[in-house]
Amino acid sequence: MIRVESLAKRFGDVRAVADVSFIAENGRITGLLGPNGAGKTTTLRMISTLVEPSAGSARVDDCDVRADPLRARARLGMLTDARGLYTRLTARENIAYYGELRGMERDALAASIARLADWLELGPLLDRRTDGFSQGEKMKVAIARALVHDPPNVVLDEPTNGLDVMTTRNLREVIRKLRDDGKCVLFSSHVMQEVSALCDVIVIMAHGIVAAEGTAAELLALSGAANLEDAFVSLTGEALPA
Amino acid sequence: MTPTLTVYLKELRDAVRDRRTMLMVLVASILMGPLTLVLVAQYVAGIEEKSRVLKVRMAGADRAPALVNFLQRNDVEIEKAPDDYEERVKEGRLDAVIVVPVDFEDRFLAGDSAKVEIVYDDSRTEAAPAIRQAERLLRGFNQETGTLRLVARGVSPDLATPLKVEHVNTATPRQKGAFLLFIIPMFAVLSPLLGGMTVAIDSTAGERERGSLEPLLANPVRVEHVVAGKWLASWTFASAVSTLTLSGFVVAATFHSSRQLAALMSFGIPELTLFVAMVLPLAAMTSALQMLICTYGRSYREAQTYVSYLTTAVSFVPLIVLFSGLKDATWQLAVPVLGQQMVFSRIVRADALSAADFAVPMGTSVAVAAAALVILCRLLREERIVFGRS
Repeated sequence: MIRVESLAKRFGDVRAVADVSFIAENGRITGLLGPNGAGKTTTLRMISTLVEPSAGSARVDDCDVRADPLRARARLGMLTDARGLYTRLTARENIAYYGELRGMERDALAASIARLADWLELGPLLDRRTDGFSQGEKMKVAIARALVHDPPNVVLDEPTNGLDVMTTRNLREVIRKLRDDGKCVLFSSHVMQEVSALCDVIVIMAHGIVAAEGTAAELLALSGAANLEDAFVSLTGEALPA
Repeated sequence: MTPTLTVYLKELRDAVRDRRTMLMVLVASILMGPLTLVLVAQYVAGIEEKSRVLKVRMAGADRAPALVNFLQRNDVEIEKAPDDYEERVKEGRLDAVIVVPVDFEDRFLAGDSAKVEIVYDDSRTEAAPAIRQAERLLRGFNQETGTLRLVARGVSPDLATPLKVEHVNTATPRQKGAFLLFIIPMFAVLSPLLGGMTVAIDSTAGERERGSLEPLLANPVRVEHVVAGKWLASWTFASAVSTLTLSGFVVAATFHSSRQLAALMSFGIPELTLFVAMVLPLAAMTSALQMLICTYGRSYREAQTYVSYLTTAVSFVPLIVLFSGLKDATWQLAVPVLGQQMVFSRIVRADALSAADFAVPMGTSVAVAAAALVILCRLLREERIVFGRS
């Protein structure tokens, strides 16, 4: 479970995140929806402890990200905005590196990689160097890397960016499987279809604050609009980029 | 496995698979240093060879029978200079030519001072021994003839030589070779920079450029452990390359065991051991500094530029020592690189060294390395570094 309370972040004079509170429950997919520059990535970076909040708090399960960042990170699988791989290492070595950094034993690591490879259909790629992998292949390795320690909380920052239709569909299945495993899944997107197709709970962000929160049906009722897109416009006062 | 060890092993594996790193190891350690030494040794040997065989080239030798007679008595081989000797000297095909003018014999027999010319081009250093030799032979002739003339007039030759100069050279053969061995301290200072460079760049700016720094730091590992692992990898390469380079000099020195030069090239296992003991802390420092400045680079190329500034700065130090005539002083020991340079040249000159001479440069290296790593850890907590990408 991820609990965010009155989180704020300032970069000099710029207020990237003004006041964000929400709860992402276990066994649910929570979507952070908002236009570019709404503060989604900064919010996720604060949750993943890479950016220190200016005010407010974020907790991953029982761990406060400021008080105990290492434990918070350990309970988190984070697919960051940057998802560079080591091109001279094979896919397996890339994934294993992160597993070892998270203190996994050899046998558990091998089993976890085998399970993820099966899930993500990575099998034939595992022992190839990642140099020359396609966007989709790189993404699969990056996801496997983030999930190798089987974290109870999964945070994905714009995971479908730059992916083709088939890979996106694959990814959706993975995200649903994670939810069905009882994990807390939090992901950000600026694509309406993405969020509406997948999320149990939608958190709409604009200008660094939470504009509205609820299930798709609740958001429709709240705004009185006929579809989610119109609901988004009426709730935030602006349109999403296409 | 501790996180530091994990990072270390990963960086080593990554570096070994990097063609750039391996090329650097090969070029820096196996080729460059020893090859330079062999070439310089060859050059020096060539010069010695030239001056050992006494041979002069003369134009108009038939006009000076007395001079020719003197030279022949001194076992000097006389070669007739070709007609276009001036051009050949200019082009560097001839070193020096003794030219006897037409009126030489007349003036000589009349007891006047007769003129001879030495034609040479002193911009070519390799001609210097031949020039000096020609001068020496003519001076010898001068002295002999002058002495004979004074004796013929009943004057003691000692009157004409109020000063008798004798050369007493105190340089040991080893110190004579110090110029040659200047090269080894230079490589000892530069090889850690070359060896650690690619790993230092790839593990800092490389991570930023690839976009792998942010996910790496999102792992539940303290940034100090990550930095330690990366630095150890860079240090390992820097140390390995310098040790290999210095060992190459030992091998190169044994190639010259049969020649006279062997005395000059006394760089053996004892010297190597002392050098390596000094180089390891130095490499720790250069690796840490390289990583620190490379972290500011958003791309491999940018970092390469920054590293080249450091390399240039360091490579100036041996030159400063060589050309400024800086006398050895204790404060220099505390200056990074300068201190090492000083100790290195003392080792090759076989000068006495105290424990402090070793301890001070080592201590400063370790202190600078530690400071650089502390700053680096801070830097990796800054958002502009972690998220700022090109």
